[in-house]
Amino acid sequence: MSAGYEVLSIDELERYPSSSSYVLRPLRRRLGFRPFGVNVWVGENQGDEVIETHREPGGTEELYVVLRGTASFTLGEETFDAPVGTLVHAPPGMLRAARAAQDGTTILALGAEAGKAYEPAAWEDFYVAHAHLRAGDPERGRAAYREAIAREPDAWEGAYNAACFEALAGDRDAALAALQRALELDRGQAMKYIAADSDLDSLRDDPRFAELVR
Amino acid sequence: MSVAHVDELDRIELADGFVWRPVRRHFGIRAFGVNAYSAREPGGQVIERHREEELGHEEIYLVLRGRARFTVDGNEHELGPGELVFVRDPSLERGATALDEDTLVLAMGGKPGEPHVVSAWEAMFAAVPAANGGRWDEAIRIHEEALGEQPDHPALLYNLACMEARGGRRLDALLHLQRAIALDEKWRGRALQDPDFTAIRGEPGFPA
Repeated sequence: MSAGYEVLSIDELERYPSSSSYVLRPLRRRLGFRPFGVNVWVGENQGDEVIETHREPGGTEELYVVLRGTASFTLGEETFDAPVGTLVHAPPGMLRAARAAQDGTTILALGAEAGKAYEPAAWEDFYVAHAHLRAGDPERGRAAYREAIAREPDAWEGAYNAACFEALAGDRDAALAALQRALELDRGQAMKYIAADSDLDSLRDDPRFAELVR
Repeated sequence: MSVAHVDELDRIELADGFVWRPVRRHFGIRAFGVNAYSAREPGGQVIERHREEELGHEEIYLVLRGRARFTVDGNEHELGPGELVFVRDPSLERGATALDEDTLVLAMGGKPGEPHVVSAWEAMFAAVPAANGGRWDEAIRIHEEALGEQPDHPALLYNLACMEARGGRRLDALLHLQRAIALDEKWRGRALQDPDFTAIRGEPGFPA
């Protein structure tokens, strides 16, 4: 094999459980694939979420391909069984969700915004970071989220999410420093989330926190 | 139409023996390239041998069912469901043959750092059934739709000229052929040999 190509099985991808019941197997991140988003999502047990209930912000359109099992898919108002080989196209803004109707239901998800060059989304790195944190390995988590911040050092979201991570990891100083950075980058946006975000609860009794959000 | 099973996709048999199952076109997806392919029979081509230098695409080929033997950069890999090849380097030759009757491969690709542009070959492939059936107006319409988005695409203009020549639209064929050659001289040599232009080869204005 040469450096110009790679062969792998989706079963070789890392397995990152979410705080809910779905599991991410990060294909795009593993390959370093750059043209658009592509990831594998798994509901390991019948009834588990496979695709969380959400709408895509902006103009992102997605295609879901059922690779294994059967998904109970919701698209807009409609819910239907989606066996292996089903393709589901979700236009921007449409509500979408899927649950596993069988153990091990696996869905490939492709997504990007038409007319725009794709940039790897920071959520991938933060998702992986939080999965490492939940698994008791905060250092691997930090390494993951620092990739997102290195790509977009001036994005308030990266600093804000780093603050959440560090608050959950128990590093109060690092959390407050990251929160300060997020507020410096975009105070208006960051303040919209700070009041209600339970990730930051461990910081709220710190006088430095009160000073930052004053 | 927002939901389809892969077996409900069109089956467009192409000259090299592989069968295009259009996914992107079926759903009208604009943001990325995605298509499925099957083979006419076991042992047949399922992914045509090609390189992606012209489009600069990174491509992922994922086996959805059956088994396929991929050849990438001269190396062979036999893959089953859930296994994939990611070809990062557009200059590498890649292709695959089907080892099972129902082998199906999903191909996903695009050019890094740029908004996705619908590949012109999709219209050319999509027009094949109409051309094979002598439905020239339909084949011409498919090309014209694609040219609406990429009006100066030489290959699309050349193929449109082929369809027009076959369909008896001699003047349109000559104009589009001339335009294709003006944009890319390589089409001149192709036109001289192309049986699609038999009917107009003697016309004044046919490229010498």
